[in-house]
Amino acid sequence: MDQKESVRDITPWDGTLSSSDFFSAACAFSEKWKRFSASVPPWLWVPSRKHHLLSSHKEEGYLSLEGMCLIKSSEEQESCRSQTWKEESSISQEEEAVDNATLVQSSCDEVNHYDFHIVYSPSYRVPVLYFRSYHSDGQPLPFGEIEKDLPDHSAKIRSESKWTFITQEEHPYLNRPWYKLHPCGTSEWMKLLFLGDTALNKNGFVIEHYLVSWFSVIGQVVGLKIPLGMLETVSC
Amino acid sequence: MAAESPSSVRKVVVHLRATGDAPILKQSKFKIAGADKFAKVIDFLRRQLHRETLFVYVNSAFSPNPDESIIDLYTNFGFDGKLVVNYACSMAWG
Repeated sequence: MDQKESVRDITPWDGTLSSSDFFSAACAFSEKWKRFSASVPPWLWVPSRKHHLLSSHKEEGYLSLEGMCLIKSSEEQESCRSQTWKEESSISQEEEAVDNATLVQSSCDEVNHYDFHIVYSPSYRVPVLYFRSYHSDGQPLPFGEIEKDLPDHSAKIRSESKWTFITQEEHPYLNRPWYKLHPCGTSEWMKLLFLGDTALNKNGFVIEHYLVSWFSVIGQVVGLKIPLGMLETVSC
Repeated sequence: MAAESPSSVRKVVVHLRATGDAPILKQSKFKIAGADKFAKVIDFLRRQLHRETLFVYVNSAFSPNPDESIIDLYTNFGFDGKLVVNYACSMAWG
């Protein structure tokens, strides 16, 4: 108990961020993603035209990555995929990555498309991942089918920890039903992530790093991987 | 290319460090094959601590994907000849 309290003394930060912090974090995340994950669709900032009474600043919006094909997580394809992520510096590897994608697509009869949005939750003061999935013909996928696309460890994470359950809710900007990862535990594990590092404790957390750290956890649930090079930019 | 290099057969020292109120292990440093996946570290911790809900992370910055290889993590985030892995048990949630 004593230990816990002393920890709290050093880190007054509660794991949350303000909506303008979210905007800064989103820009940094999108830039890094472009630099390190050239082979996958980019995360783009979508400004919102929705008018809020309380927050009228112009940074209102969300991050969006659309048209992603989740490759089924069989051992073999999984290793192909990690190769794609790993070595992006050399041109020959990059070509290989493109080849991989073509191969996988042609070998699959049915490719499911995924749209991901990262939306700021004003009530929890943390980012929330929304997603939806559809067949090539545009027909939406029921959750039972989405589950088959998710990596094996996703089911494990979701069944074991209560903070990662998926619910279907109205998208705050699009007003359509999307799936979302519930944010009730987010600030707690974000706090944990930054805990134990004295430099960060002194200076507070680094806003630019927030979404990369956050996504390293969230991405595992939906089978989106952050390249190691990108993670290096946030580690000390 | 990476699979053939000697770096993938070498062993890596993994230092498991408890954070928050997670129990401390009697032995905190282990040698693990570089070719192994990070999932092995998570499973090991789970067995040792008898806790299902564990939060495992590196460098106070991110939680590695379970299918990341140990040697890759070591190459990118290793320090002083070892890879420091922090773990915490579920606290507020669960």
